[in-house]
Amino acid sequence: MKILIYLINSLFNKVKPIFSGHYIAIAGLIGFSFFLLIALLAPWIAPQNPYDLMVLDIMDGLLPPLSKLGNGTTAWLGTDALGRDILSAVMYGLRLSLFVAFVAVAIGTTIGVILGLLAAVKGGWVETIIMRAVDLKVSFPGILLALMMLAIFGTGVDKIIYALIIGVWASKARLTRSQALSEMQKEYIDAARISGIPNWRIMVRFLLPNSIAPVLVMVPMALSGAIGAEATLSFLGVGVPITEPSLGLLIANGNDYILSGKWWISIIPGLVLVSLVLCINVVADRIREYNNPYLKSKDQ
Amino acid sequence: MIKYILKRFWQSGILAVIMSLIVFFGMYVVGDPVEMLSDEDWTEQDKIELAIELGLDKPVHEQYLSFAGDIVKGDFGISFVYNRPVLDLIVERLPATLEVALLAMIIGLCIGIPLGIYSGIKGNSRGTRIISFFTTIGYSTPNFWQAILLILVFAVFFQWLPASGRGDTNLLFGIEWSLLSVDGLKHMALPAINLAIYKICMQSRLARSGTQEILYQEYMTFARAKGISRNRIIRRHLLRNILIPIVTITGLEIGGLIAFSTVTETVFAWPGIGKLLLDSIHMVDRPVVVAYLILITLMFVFINFIVDVLYAFLDPRIRHQK
Amino acid sequence: MNNPPLLEINNLNVTYPNGSQGRDELKALDQIFLKLSEGQITGIVGESGAGKSTIGKAVLGLLDSPARLVSGEIRFLGNSLIGLSEAQFESLRGNQIGYIYQNPMTALNPVLTIGEQVIEAIEANTDMKGQSAQEYAIQLLERADVSFAKDRLQKYPHQLSGGLCQRIVFAIAIAAKPKLIIADEPTTALDVTVQKSVLQTLIKLSKEERIAIILITHDIGVISETCDYVYVLRHGKHVEQNATNNVLQKPEQDYTKSLMASVPLIDKRLHRFPLNEENSFDESSTGLNYLQEKQTIQESSNKPLLEVRNLSKIFVTPSSLLKSKQLFTAVKGVSFNVDRGETVGIVGESGSGKTTIGRMILGLEEITDGSVIYRGKNLKELVDAAEKRAHCLSMQCIFQDPYSSLNPRMTAGENITYGLRVHKMISPGKAKSLAQDLMALVGLPSKDAEKLPHAFSGGERQRIGIARALSYRPDFIFCDEPTSALDVSVQANLLNLLKDLQESLLLK
Repeated sequence: MKILIYLINSLFNKVKPIFSGHYIAIAGLIGFSFFLLIALLAPWIAPQNPYDLMVLDIMDGLLPPLSKLGNGTTAWLGTDALGRDILSAVMYGLRLSLFVAFVAVAIGTTIGVILGLLAAVKGGWVETIIMRAVDLKVSFPGILLALMMLAIFGTGVDKIIYALIIGVWASKARLTRSQALSEMQKEYIDAARISGIPNWRIMVRFLLPNSIAPVLVMVPMALSGAIGAEATLSFLGVGVPITEPSLGLLIANGNDYILSGKWWISIIPGLVLVSLVLCINVVADRIREYNNPYLKSKDQ
Repeated sequence: MIKYILKRFWQSGILAVIMSLIVFFGMYVVGDPVEMLSDEDWTEQDKIELAIELGLDKPVHEQYLSFAGDIVKGDFGISFVYNRPVLDLIVERLPATLEVALLAMIIGLCIGIPLGIYSGIKGNSRGTRIISFFTTIGYSTPNFWQAILLILVFAVFFQWLPASGRGDTNLLFGIEWSLLSVDGLKHMALPAINLAIYKICMQSRLARSGTQEILYQEYMTFARAKGISRNRIIRRHLLRNILIPIVTITGLEIGGLIAFSTVTETVFAWPGIGKLLLDSIHMVDRPVVVAYLILITLMFVFINFIVDVLYAFLDPRIRHQK
Repeated sequence: MNNPPLLEINNLNVTYPNGSQGRDELKALDQIFLKLSEGQITGIVGESGAGKSTIGKAVLGLLDSPARLVSGEIRFLGNSLIGLSEAQFESLRGNQIGYIYQNPMTALNPVLTIGEQVIEAIEANTDMKGQSAQEYAIQLLERADVSFAKDRLQKYPHQLSGGLCQRIVFAIAIAAKPKLIIADEPTTALDVTVQKSVLQTLIKLSKEERIAIILITHDIGVISETCDYVYVLRHGKHVEQNATNNVLQKPEQDYTKSLMASVPLIDKRLHRFPLNEENSFDESSTGLNYLQEKQTIQESSNKPLLEVRNLSKIFVTPSSLLKSKQLFTAVKGVSFNVDRGETVGIVGESGSGKTTIGRMILGLEEITDGSVIYRGKNLKELVDAAEKRAHCLSMQCIFQDPYSSLNPRMTAGENITYGLRVHKMISPGKAKSLAQDLMALVGLPSKDAEKLPHAFSGGERQRIGIARALSYRPDFIFCDEPTSALDVSVQANLLNLLKDLQESLLLK
């Protein structure tokens, strides 16, 4: 318990100077926490379980916001063609979108960092192969690679996570490697080598803690990118399955009705999606700005 | 210089071969074409015959060689859905994609880069903050949702612009262009704006950080110490240096534009190659998907090569590399 | 004198915001005054962080945004320079006051040719245009001792050496015949071999044009060769001022004395540097006992501890398809011996391969040719892993840059003993007390072993580096410019420590 409080405290002290006085970034942080909370609590706070087709009534279909449903409850944000409550669908969609993005970014970043460190430490053909793969990936737009992956392996939540991981790892590997290489120029690595400390220990205790910071700075950006990419792929119908709609798929469902004036079905999930990405991006921007050496005061 | 170009050329070639390998293995080896092509009532014998017909009984490397050989000859096979040569399908849709991408590119460059340089120079002024407010919103909004909003506002609500299709086209050099007719331009407006918004945001952010980075270089302060006026420093020292990252970004973004045109074309029902790709994925029209990926890869490799060469022309440090 | 002095600075205060909060302020300049008359060469000397460069930037209105000119007076030919607009400064810069940067490679724009950059300065500050500006540029380069001036105009900065680039910067600075040039460490970034001649060019130009120079430097040798008058600065504060000879021969302040005394004199071999304040070396330290334990098991042989035979190193840039491999000989045929307890110096300018020799001895770099025989054995011939490790561990290194030689994510104590713990040569509990003992031995408070490296100054970090090297009880320590990154007064202190340690431990 004490350790937990200490950890939270030290985290707070680290985060405070980044955000203090930057109200837009603070608003972004609060907004993101709000969305995260909704996503976590969705099964308990949503009025309806949108995955349970039994509770849906086709008679409730396409109702505008604030309409009364057949069972007497109010659909605050309207319903879609199947009679699904948009509010509940958005909560569950948010949950799925965030889950997919978090998992993909976490795995992708880990893979990237490990490969980057390996490339830097091992050199030779290991480095060549890893870095050529990175070049290959980076010179190719992520969305096309993801489309290709999904075209080969089919769709599904797991498949889209794989596709997003492919989009995440390369830039992290490149950054980690260049960081690690510049750390390796430093003399404390030589000192460790003279002392006969094995390579993997140098990687874990010396290189990793000293080269991870810039990679972590990129994580929020990667997260918002992954959310956007998932939404796009699901919108195109190659992402999550129809039975488990994410925000992107909800928007796609509503797209068919937009020309007939039933705007709420796709606009509401879209607004949530944009707000979520925006919140993350302003936080990410602030973190990057804080870590940008050019914007900091230079010594003397 | 020539060595540098040759080296890049060689690397580009390798890149193309590797990508074709990946596409080949992805599409032919991981997926089972026989299962995809066969109907439910086919017998085992039918399936084996089909496999032989497709050359699947041969060793993998032979399959790859014949696959690559066909590509070199320009033979990408016949579409299952349209029952026509794939290359024809792609070539007749390519102009539609290119004209929108080009228009969006020009809009993006002309607006994005000046905005970025302005906000890089002005630092923390009000103008900068307004620009960064809009660009942040711009790149936080997924492309497809922007497209929906554009349709909702301009096509449904105001009814100023058409929401889908390509409109009238005129013939030039034997190719149909929407650029050349008023109706075509109207149809092009929304897709081009859709693609351009993202471009403007990206370009201006990149130009901004590039500008800031260069502003802090010592030679900028030294130029001031030489007594050169601020305007001249910006025109000469800043622009010449910032051109280097901008050319790189622009080149790479052409690829991004083509990639994102899959989304835009789908929403606006624009008959380009992006829509073709997506339709083909949905209808499991494998030859089209393969051909698209191969051609796009070749195009990227080519663009990257051109960017590298331009880069060498702009940066004397690379030009004089031995 | 009726005429106002060329430049007069009174009570100048400049602050930097300190820390991310921006609340604390660091006084970069604290009540600085300075007076300079025409044609005079004045030196400003002080260690890094003394605020020397800030003076130059303040005069030209080039202070970058976090720095703030709080108060004070700067007068140039009697006119105040405080609060001038950017346009007014523009007409002053280059025209009346020239500026020379420390590093010519970063001061010149990499994508513009030399010609473009010189002519640009000419056109901005004189009436010359086009052809005449071009001719004048050639003339300027020639006067700055740039050979083949006409060809050099077509070149880009990266195609020329640092010394040439600095001469070109001189040419730019004198283009409009300014009355004053501020030269900020003009030779520090250059190779030792060209420093002197580049400096001579600057002095020659100053004499020819009667240009006054403010020469900012940390190197008292440069001052003694060139300056008429000297100001000594420390931590942004004025320490002392006088004619150069007076300062050199009878410095008044203790700080100046230690600055002078710590410059090693060629003709006199010192046993120790005479210093006023010094961390005394504690003979009774427990750390010393730990280190002396092993001394008993030494073999008594009269063979040298280390024999270096015909050592060569050739770096190979790997070949690719279109590029044949390129060879670069860093070290060629070097031989020397080191006896037990002996100190051997390796001297040479940067790039001469000193560090490479050390790295080969320590096994950090492959040996191209020749052999290193240490304790009678060649590392290459050792097969037994334990023996190999012991062999390597008894050779240690003290590195050049204290700011990069410690792992920033480990405490000082962990840095010192991590290797011992990895090799299971010591228990965690003992490691802690050993780290504290060694800290005390090198003159640091033993409780500071818990702190992270960034809490220490450069000199203190170097002491931690020494403690780390000592923890393995080495027989041989390679010191790779252990003081070059430090301030002079700290340098002497550290060298004394090394000397003391060596005497009590009989190391190299």
